[in-house]
Order: sequence, then structure tokens, then C-alpha cells
Amino acid sequence: MSDALLSVRGVSKRFGGLVAVNEVSFDVLPGDVVSIIGPNGAGKTTLFNLLTGQLAPSAGQVLFEGRDISGLSPNRRAALGLGRTFQISQTLTSLSVIENAMVGAFLHHASIKAAARRADEVLHLVGLADRAGVRAGVLTLSERRRLEVARALALDPRIVLLDEVMAGLNPTEVEELVALVERLNAEGHTFLVIEHNLKVVRRFSRRVIVIERGSKLAEGTADDVLRDPRVVEAYIGRTRAA
Amino acid sequence: MILAARAPVRHTRPVQNFAGALPRALLALLAMGALVAFWSGDSFTLNTLAAAFLFAGLATAWNIIGGFGGQFSLAHSVFFAVGAYTTVNLYLKLGISPWIGLLPGAALAAAVACLLSWPLFRLRGPFFAIATMAFTEVALALGNYWTSLTGGTRGLSIPFRLGLGNMIFRDRLSYALLMLGFAALCLLISLAVNRSRLGYYLQAVRDNEQAARAAGVSVLRVKLTGMAISAALTGIGGGLFFMQVRVADPAALLSLFDFGVKFALIALIGGLGTVYGPLLGALVVIPLENWLRAELGGILPGANLIVLSLCLILAALFMKHGIIGALSAGLRRVRR
Repeated sequence: MSDALLSVRGVSKRFGGLVAVNEVSFDVLPGDVVSIIGPNGAGKTTLFNLLTGQLAPSAGQVLFEGRDISGLSPNRRAALGLGRTFQISQTLTSLSVIENAMVGAFLHHASIKAAARRADEVLHLVGLADRAGVRAGVLTLSERRRLEVARALALDPRIVLLDEVMAGLNPTEVEELVALVERLNAEGHTFLVIEHNLKVVRRFSRRVIVIERGSKLAEGTADDVLRDPRVVEAYIGRTRAA
Repeated sequence: MILAARAPVRHTRPVQNFAGALPRALLALLAMGALVAFWSGDSFTLNTLAAAFLFAGLATAWNIIGGFGGQFSLAHSVFFAVGAYTTVNLYLKLGISPWIGLLPGAALAAAVACLLSWPLFRLRGPFFAIATMAFTEVALALGNYWTSLTGGTRGLSIPFRLGLGNMIFRDRLSYALLMLGFAALCLLISLAVNRSRLGYYLQAVRDNEQAARAAGVSVLRVKLTGMAISAALTGIGGGLFFMQVRVADPAALLSLFDFGVKFALIALIGGLGTVYGPLLGALVVIPLENWLRAELGGILPGANLIVLSLCLILAALFMKHGIIGALSAGLRRVRR
């Protein structure tokens, strides 16, 4: 799989005696939308942090465009083209909306003018252009999530990792955000997504990876994986007949 | 240059570049120049203005790393002293004009600041502040024993040899203008930092280091760059201060009350992390301090300090965002 954009090879993370992620391997191809699902505490966010560099793996490798990035810092990985959002939204609260996006845009645009122009573009993409001058601290949860997506997009990333961007949003907001991801994917953006909402997973994922207790339980198309008895068991428990 | 002025909602803040923000800065400097012109015959006021401008520059310099970057350094009196001793020793021992000696002073202050803060930048918030404060104590001990450079506890004095090249003047007006120049330098550099990628990165680091890293920001490098610029300006301020007072010992230069904490305090009172806050803070706090000393100091020793502290406490209680914050809130109310 030399053409994989992101390649995860036998990655593990141990915290003392606890194995949070256990030899997980998968590939993300350019143009993909891959979802990672699993019960609470399965190790999804830990896995994410291994990919973006917030944590260092205890074993295994993370390859980005064929290059081993396992030892690189989060900012080096961001500079290479890994954009991400956080499960608990991390906006820069004292800056305005457009300035938040500019902090991302500065990676490839050194001047204020160019960064502001790029920031304005991504704010239009995520539908926050009319909030550009507002302080990010006063945004609603849904707007903060979209702002994080905008900041990630402003990096002109090769892949965007979304950590539960739908959590806490109402159905209308979820629909808006799903439509946004679908549109961006159609334009060629690659996504790796942690998602709890199975409806959303069915909607935009060609490929789903199920993590349980740190290990990969299943991988395949959304329909196949969600029908898999082991996955059903992990999520809602064994049925009486089985 | 307003690039994003469409936002219809409150708290709007247009994105300006350096050129767009420059006129306001020049206006502020012009106003400060007008103060000097108005009181050009009054030695007491000129002295006060010189001190106010010096601290305006120093607080503005501190604010680059302390305000924009959120790294609450209390070690700036060390960089102040490094600059002061470099400039003065070059002048006394090698006869190098202070005008030139300020530059190696700034460079050495920046180098010392980077070396000191490299390990300390792992610490966050109050822990960083406490660790930097500890450095002032170490520097004081070092200063007291390094007699060849500092004169030890007896201090170092500069002979009174008038001359522009020696940076020694008889009239108070020259010192007021000298310090105005220093304040202008600090303000313009602070504005240039604020309206640049570095300024945004510093603010991103202050707000949320994790988010900054995810946006490709090298947190340590940004902190070190901000610290170096801040310390270099502080070192220049130290050189100017020593040339003005002409006699000082390590205890005076490294005093937390007179320098280390005061830089931060003035920035806080004026408006932490804003471009003009530290400037305004110094123009209010220093004259107030001098006036209280003149009016009350003679009546009851220490009374001036009690009143000054009360003023500062009141300011901290009722102006959470400093003088700048209170002013802009007032302005919003008037406009509505």
C-alpha cells in the first residue's frame, strides 16, 4: 500500500500497565473518508493523538506519504499536512473568528494580508464568514466546531482528522456539518473521523474501522461492519438467542 | 487596511496590518511629544515625564512576552541589569559611546533571556512566574560578588562628563526626549510584533498551546523569539536608565519592587496584552507615584506608598481589563 496517504502500522500505546491502543494497523487513501467508531473508552482519541503527535506511540509506526512521522512533534506533523480538530473544542478565545483561522493560515501565508485572505476563504467554506469579527469566546458550540474545522482547513492539509465534531450538536447542526464534510470530500479533501453517531457514519463513510478495548475489531464498509455481530455486541451487548 | 469589516455583531475587531495601525501609534507618540513641549520649562515635570516614558517603553517591552505571549516573567529586571552593566562597562572601561554600547547590551540581554527561559518555558502560569522571580535573587547575589563589573554593593558611578556622545546632559529636557525616543522604539516594535505572524502565534500560545501546536506553531520557538525581542528592548532601557542616574548598585537595578514587578504591574494596570495599555499605564502610574511622593512623602513617611497601593488595588478591582479596557467600554457606551 505505497499509495496510502496515512499508514498506521502496528501502533500501540501503553500507560503503565494499561494498554490503551494495541497493535492497530490501517491505511487511509487520498480522497477517503474513514470513520473510527467504538464504545466509550475504547482508545479512539488516544489513537488519534498518536497520529497527530500529541502522544508518542510505545510501539509501531505512523507513515505519512510513506515517511515515518512517529517521532515528529504535533506542529511538525501539522506543517506536513495533518490538520485536526479536538473532541473538547480548542478555540483561541481571546482572538476573533477570522484571527483563529489566520493562525492556521499563517503556516503557508506569512503576511497578515495573505493569511486574512486565506482565512476568509475557509470561513466562507464552513459558513462562518458573517461572524469573522466576533470574538471566538462568544461562539456557540456548533460554531466553535466549525471554526476548528476552518482552522484545520486553513493549513491546506492533506488530511483532516475530526475528533467527534458532531458531539453535542442538534440534528440540524449535525446535518449542516455532515453536508460540509461531504462537500469538502467531493472537492478532494481526505478525512479521518472519530464518530459516535452511527447515522452519520453510514452517511459518509466508505470505510469504517471499529476499535474496542484498544484493538481493531473490524474494518469494512459501513453496512458490513455495522451488521457484524461482534460489533453489535461491543456496542449493545449480546442478543439472547446468540 | 481593513480586511474583514463585515461582521455585524458586537466585539467586532477588524484585521489591520502594521501600515494600517501605524497612524494611531504616531498620533500617540505625537501626544507624548506635546506633553514634553508643554512642560519644557518645568524640571520636576520633565523628570516625571522622562521616568514615565522610560517605564512606558519597559512595560511595552515586557508586554510583548508577558502580555501577547502570556508568559508572566518577573526576571525582566535581570535583563534590565544585563543591558545596563554592558552599556556602562563598555563606556567606562573601553570608552565606547553609550549610543553604540546599547546594542551589545540589548544582544546580551536577549541571549541571557533565551538561556534562562529555555528550561523555564516548560513551566506554566504561576510556576513560570515564581521560577523567573528566583532568577532575580541569583542575579543579585552574582551582582554583589562580581565587583569588577558591578562595583559590588558600593555600586558603580559614571563621572559627569557632559556631551552628546557620552549621553550625559545637564538639562532635563534632553533626558525627557531620550526616553521619549525609547518609548517610541518600544511602541513601534511592539506594534510590528502584534501585527505580524509572530504576534498571532504568541497570542495563540497564550490562549491554548495544544491548539497552537495543532495549527503548526512551534510553541518553544515562538516563546523564545518573543522573549528575545522583549529582553533586548528591556536591556536598552537598562542602559538608558543607568546613563541617566549615573550611579547604581545591583540591589537597585535588580529590585523587584522598582523594576521586575513594576513592568508587569504597569502593563496590568494599563491593559495586559494590548498594544497601548502598558504605555497608558506608565503615563498614569508613574506621575501618580511621583506626585504622591512629593505631596505626601514629606508629611508622613510611607503615606505616599499606602495611597499608591490603594489606587492600584482599586484599579485592579474595578478595571479588570485595565485602563484601555475601561476606556473602550466607556467609548462603546457613548456610541450606543
